Amino acid sequence: MISYIVRRLLILPIILIGVTLLVFSMIMMLGPYERLSTYITDPAQLKNVDVDVLVTKLGLDDPWYQQYGRWISGVARGDMGWSESAGSTVTQAFLNRFPATAELGLLALLPVVVGGVILGVFASVHHNDVWDHVSRVLAIIGWSVPTFVFGLIMLMIFYGTLGWFPPSRLDSWALDIVNSTGFINYTNFFIIDGLLNANFAIVGNAIRHLIAPVITISILWWAFIMRITRSSMLEILRRDYIRTARAKGVTENVVVYKHAVRNALIPVVTVAGRMVLGLLGGLVITETIFNIKGLGQFMAQAAQQLDYPAVLGGTLYFGFLLIVINLCVDVSYAIIDPRIRLE
Amino acid sequence: MKRSSILILVLSMVLVLSLTVGAFAQVNNPNTFTKINMGTIDSLDPHYQYDNASSEIYANIYENLIMFKEGDITQYEPLLATEVPTVNNGLIKNDGTTYIFPIREGVTFHEGGTLTPEDVKYSFMRGLIHDRNGGPWWMLYGPLFDAGGLSDITEQVVGVENPSELTAAQSAEVYAELDKAISVDGNKVVFNLPKPNPTFLSVVVHDNGLGAIIDKEWSIEQGAWDGSPETIAEYYDPAKESDPLHEQTNGTGPFMLNTWEKGKRIALDRNDNYWREPAQLERVIINYIDEWSTRKLMLQRGDADVVYMDKQYQSQVENLDGVEFISGLPNLYTGYGLMNWTIDTKGNPDVHSGELDGNGVPSDFFEDINVRKAFNYSMNYDAFVSEVMDGDGQQARGPIPEPFLGFDEDSPVYTMDLEKAEEHFKKAFDGELWDKGFEITILYNTGNSMRKTASDMLKYNIEQINPNFKINVRGIQWASYLDRMIAGKFTLGFIGWGADYADPHNFTVPFMRSDGTFGNFKGESYKEWAKENGVDSLVNKGVEVTDREEREEIYKEIQNIAYEYATDLYLYQPTAHILMRDWVQGWTYDPILHDGIYYYRIYKAQE
Amino acid sequence: MEWQEVVVRLFKNKISLIGLILIIFFGVIAIGAPWIAPPSDPSEPYMVPRAGWGFEPQPPSSEHIFGTAEGQYDIFYGIIWGTRTAFRIGFIIVGISSFIGILVGTLAGYYGGWFDEVVMRITDIFMAIPFLIAAIVMTTILGQGLRNVMIALITFGWMNSARLMRSQVLSIKEEEFVIAADALGAGDFRIIFKHVILNTIFPLVIEASMRMGSMVITASTLSFLGIGAPEGYADWGQMISFARNWILGGEGNAIKYWFTVVIPGGAITLFCLSWNLIGDAFRDILDPKLQ
Repeated sequence: MISYIVRRLLILPIILIGVTLLVFSMIMMLGPYERLSTYITDPAQLKNVDVDVLVTKLGLDDPWYQQYGRWISGVARGDMGWSESAGSTVTQAFLNRFPATAELGLLALLPVVVGGVILGVFASVHHNDVWDHVSRVLAIIGWSVPTFVFGLIMLMIFYGTLGWFPPSRLDSWALDIVNSTGFINYTNFFIIDGLLNANFAIVGNAIRHLIAPVITISILWWAFIMRITRSSMLEILRRDYIRTARAKGVTENVVVYKHAVRNALIPVVTVAGRMVLGLLGGLVITETIFNIKGLGQFMAQAAQQLDYPAVLGGTLYFGFLLIVINLCVDVSYAIIDPRIRLE
Repeated sequence: MKRSSILILVLSMVLVLSLTVGAFAQVNNPNTFTKINMGTIDSLDPHYQYDNASSEIYANIYENLIMFKEGDITQYEPLLATEVPTVNNGLIKNDGTTYIFPIREGVTFHEGGTLTPEDVKYSFMRGLIHDRNGGPWWMLYGPLFDAGGLSDITEQVVGVENPSELTAAQSAEVYAELDKAISVDGNKVVFNLPKPNPTFLSVVVHDNGLGAIIDKEWSIEQGAWDGSPETIAEYYDPAKESDPLHEQTNGTGPFMLNTWEKGKRIALDRNDNYWREPAQLERVIINYIDEWSTRKLMLQRGDADVVYMDKQYQSQVENLDGVEFISGLPNLYTGYGLMNWTIDTKGNPDVHSGELDGNGVPSDFFEDINVRKAFNYSMNYDAFVSEVMDGDGQQARGPIPEPFLGFDEDSPVYTMDLEKAEEHFKKAFDGELWDKGFEITILYNTGNSMRKTASDMLKYNIEQINPNFKINVRGIQWASYLDRMIAGKFTLGFIGWGADYADPHNFTVPFMRSDGTFGNFKGESYKEWAKENGVDSLVNKGVEVTDREEREEIYKEIQNIAYEYATDLYLYQPTAHILMRDWVQGWTYDPILHDGIYYYRIYKAQE
Repeated sequence: MEWQEVVVRLFKNKISLIGLILIIFFGVIAIGAPWIAPPSDPSEPYMVPRAGWGFEPQPPSSEHIFGTAEGQYDIFYGIIWGTRTAFRIGFIIVGISSFIGILVGTLAGYYGGWFDEVVMRITDIFMAIPFLIAAIVMTTILGQGLRNVMIALITFGWMNSARLMRSQVLSIKEEEFVIAADALGAGDFRIIFKHVILNTIFPLVIEASMRMGSMVITASTLSFLGIGAPEGYADWGQMISFARNWILGGEGNAIKYWFTVVIPGGAITLFCLSWNLIGDAFRDILDPKLQ
């Protein structure tokens, strides 16, 4: 097991280089004037600019390996470059936005996974009766309603009308406190920092602002987890060893929870892994609507503006996350089903 | 009294009280103003910034020598100068080549320094040396040096094209040249222009960052130009990240910087040591949120006092409680369809076959005046104004918008006339175009619905005229759009221009002059035509004379040339609007600051 | 199991019947589009005609029975032709990417060893590219248009099927019947196809059926971001993204523009629902334990 993990981690840098090279070459397929658009976002900025001088100054027409080489030697030194779309270094931009995305994602994880699995097991146990149908239809609706529709309706009701759950991460007064010198920002996760600074008003305010986006995310992902759990459970419940257990007189509950669920979890784990990746990668629409300046929104914007240091930085981050998560998922297969051998 | 009746009495009192309290809508956060804008601030350095979001911040933190009279961009008032130079008060001399500004005393900067004439000279010199690529300094190099930028001066004086390559000695020579333009005389600062230039005052007026006055000692401490004549190369065109004034501010204005969270939020505090009466607001907070619905909700709840709104959503806000929507404000902007007279056909999918064979368009398609006129007659101007702009705004009459010199509301314009369009199409290319037909693609920048609609209108009308006429409307990403423009590959594209300063010269140059921002993209044949037909010289003449009536004649002529020769398709001049809570008081509209608000006179009260 | 039996069972199962009816309903609309909603420009039937030039969506009326979306695009036309688009997007993308995914995942899982390692690492590389970034960059390079969107979605859409398939194969590889078949000398191909794939394909079938619906949703996300089908294209995702700025209604009437959301949303939901029901039904039918 250990050697397997170590081996997978050793390949990490190779894959990261491979990925960034791939993305970089995609961007390089665009001409220098197109890549200039990162710096010139409005035709008004063309006044009195000699575009060719600008292109040379920015090194946009250097051979691709030179540009990539510049970038990667920078990364080796810990310098990921300057993000034009963020107006700061790429590292700074990521450090700024990661907590927003992660706080939201991790907080959403528990209700989604736990809720989804429970609902899925519930539906499979009640296979083909009313509860099964109802929960499935609700799940489909949750899945197919576009996020922004649900998010905006939530905002309208719970903020517009009731004023309970406002957008953004904190109220203005709370932001002032957080930015002031008296408050130490250890992690930029407001809930954690609030606790560490013993300022419970901040903690409460942060949670209040997270409720609506978490629910919005959950509605979408519950459906996904639920359906995979359900179908997987139905699969397992028909297997011979389950029939055997039932025949032997084992109580239904034990059958379901001890024998079936464990094995049904394998595809669920795969999907959950994908979900964590999606959450930590940032959810563009949710972030845009609730004004949470996170990685999802940043990456979409950077891609649209062809801000390649930011895009490459994002690729590195995402790639790293993915490989680690995939590794965890693969390892967990072995833990769940001892018959699976990691080679 | 019985217990139950006391209870009823108390309850009814509570009820009545709660109702009455609710009846007086309170003002949320009476001392803090919250605005929600779109986009993001580029830089806090007043000499660097050149975008709307940044200029709003500069305008509240820094000050210039003069400012506009409140609500009127045709009159000036003194600000950091004690008098506005005019011919009458003798502060404009030598036939308009000398401007004298007496500097106010007793003004302090936020970080403690005192305003002196040296600060004023330093501010301008620093900016002229800074001259960042793509920045605003060309506006001042014109009047002060009759040049386009620092590189023109360096080339002229020492033959070096790139100012970053100057040696100390060369730098000193160049500096000596720059030094001629500005001098300090006691408590006055004197500007010397090579020729009279009527745009000078409108360029240095407050609203234009390049005229912002910064503190010499403090700026040098922060790492900006050290004041020495020999160091031009080091301080020329720095990258945004190395600009010392990018995130730090020190101005004389009514507000100072509290925090700037890039891309998210900026907070300003009142300057209690302001040289005039301090502002009424204690704090100003500007948030940047891109989602319209979210902004709207925050406005409705009173969590925001002003929010940015795209005109197209007007119907959603006209009758909201507690919200005021003001439209019909003057907007110094011209939207038009730029026509490329020499299209680069190599590898260009938008010209299709690239020949006059019915399956594409030739490179000189728009060079033919009949084609241009036909397109001009095919646009549905009325529907555009009434449906797309909801009646707010007007058809553009040429490059110069209302209310600048040269704008004449009775000047001739094109109207939709498909018969005339047909006539011109038939004359085009000696009748060949009509017989063979053509196919062309018009591009628009994705997300810009107004431009797509304009393109759709052309398609709809022109395709009706002749079944062999085919127009495709395609949306592309900004990156590709920019590329097409620079490379001369676009065919016809709708684009717009908003005023930088209050003078028609700011419109005639980019639209009509052969080396203007857009003139540059109109192809070689346009450039030649503009030079040969006196357009260039006419544009230049407009700023060589100072007599108002003479200038008006010149600009009217330019406006007319645009019509006569159908140089482009002039489409619309929109109006501006603002969406705010009705408790916002003291607001006046400034067309140059546009969406930006000058917070000095604003306060919040229910009236 | 013979295909005829599958079909018969499909009809007998009540749930699948509903799903099937819905899909046939959509199919009929898709096929009949040119007659139900005749295009104004026959060379470009997928471009939704505009009823005017203004922005504000207009409620359903006798001329436009579903009303118009932002920009006066006729919603009825968009829904009808959007049905075709939904099927096209679904079949092409899900079909091709599932095929690639199943192939890759099965081979990797079955053969294992260094082959599995290499294939999975390549899968990792593709997965490591954030999908949205890749889609946006690809659209800038290739240009807009539905075809390029489909290419982007296929290129970055097969990996999950591959991983899922592989995980299934891994767990079934050790099942006794597989080992038995191998011991009995059955050829690799036969084992793979008959025993491995047929026994492990259920989650993939479920996933594929969900993806038929989710492709439309992905398209709406892309439209939301300004890439995706060109503006005015008959695509449900785009129609609903037009509603984005009007959902809150206007002037105190929150449901003033309900038709911009409910009608395309309803189409999307019903489409997803029907595919999911069918997918579930397939699962019920193809499960060997129920035979």
